[in-house]
Amino acid sequence: MTVVPQGNSGGVPAPAGGGGGGSGTLYDVLELVLDRGLVIDAFVRISLVGIELVKIDARVVVASVDTYLRFAEAANRLDLESGRKAPSQLTDIVGDSVESGARGKSKGALSGAVEAITESFKGGGDEAEEEPAERERRPAREKRQERGERRSERRSARDREE
Amino acid sequence: MSVYVYAITKDSHPLDLGDAKGVGDPPGELRTVRGASLCAVVSDCPDDLSVARRDLQAHQDVQERLWSEGTALPLSFGFVAADEEAVRGVLEERAQLYAQRLDELAGRSEFNVKGVLDEDTVVRAVLEENTQARELNRRTLEGGGTYDDRLALGQLVAQEVQGRQDALAEEVLAGLRPLTEAEKVAPPSQQYFVSASFLVEDDRAEEFGRAGQELAERYGEGVELRMRGPLPPYSFV
Repeated sequence: MTVVPQGNSGGVPAPAGGGGGGSGTLYDVLELVLDRGLVIDAFVRISLVGIELVKIDARVVVASVDTYLRFAEAANRLDLESGRKAPSQLTDIVGDSVESGARGKSKGALSGAVEAITESFKGGGDEAEEEPAERERRPAREKRQERGERRSERRSARDREE
Repeated sequence: MSVYVYAITKDSHPLDLGDAKGVGDPPGELRTVRGASLCAVVSDCPDDLSVARRDLQAHQDVQERLWSEGTALPLSFGFVAADEEAVRGVLEERAQLYAQRLDELAGRSEFNVKGVLDEDTVVRAVLEENTQARELNRRTLEGGGTYDDRLALGQLVAQEVQGRQDALAEEVLAGLRPLTEAEKVAPPSQQYFVSASFLVEDDRAEEFGRAGQELAERYGEGVELRMRGPLPPYSFV
């Protein structure tokens, strides 16, 4: 597999070397594997009920009082923060993203392709370290997904009994 | 015995599956079902086939392997045929349709592009550039202002953020589109301001990768572009 910039800051570290097979790869193509690809109606398909691939349309979410209040709070918070620690920001960010790049939201971090590639080389392929980071980064989606998996396993078991 | 179906190829595909393995535990042995001028790659379907990492990864690995050696139509995950005879029936019945698709996809691959916008960065930018937002923000700091002020601030910021996301998405698509043969753009979602797949000729793959990298570098802070490819053409079958 040829390389292509793989932005990764704070996300799922891609396995060094790129090729197919790493967990990072799978996460990035999950919706393609499940939602696209050839569909053959003459065959039976495993149940995908309960698996939500992508969160609903951003516009729908944006137009709610909750969202407005959340944005107002974010604006207030950022204003206070920037008042306090604007001068040393850049150093902070670089330090942070090296130490805890995989650990969560990178606040305004420099996450262009160049950094991303460095990250993914550094990231190594250590499953044990990747897992918690992945989970933390996308909790809602992952949990829903896991529930979905369990449900679909049950369902396919039932299908077989029938 | 029911069989799990991975992909359809022409019979000219080398079908050298190497050490690739199928779904299930222990991983299923891959084999080929031939019908008319087409082949299907299949394995025995495990009793506990599930939408979990083990089987998804195996499905994806088989596709990558096949695509690296020739053109193939990747099936979506999870298709099971009653037996090999049923697979052969489909290959023969739809031979013309599938052969045509395979021809159209020869020498091309899918590239998937996702963009993530750091929310704090974009909210900060809105506050810097929009005087009304700044004024409302000042008024509501530390519990000040009314509920309506906070709502107005939030609404304004949300709209501005949405506007910036849309503009960025359009810019990314416009920057990459000229290098591609087809595109499939996913509807807007909370995680990604843009999520699109492109069909790219192999000759232009490198150029496409560079264009993506240049875009990512241009945006720098707070904008992350994830590009993945070349991939089997899931979105263009």
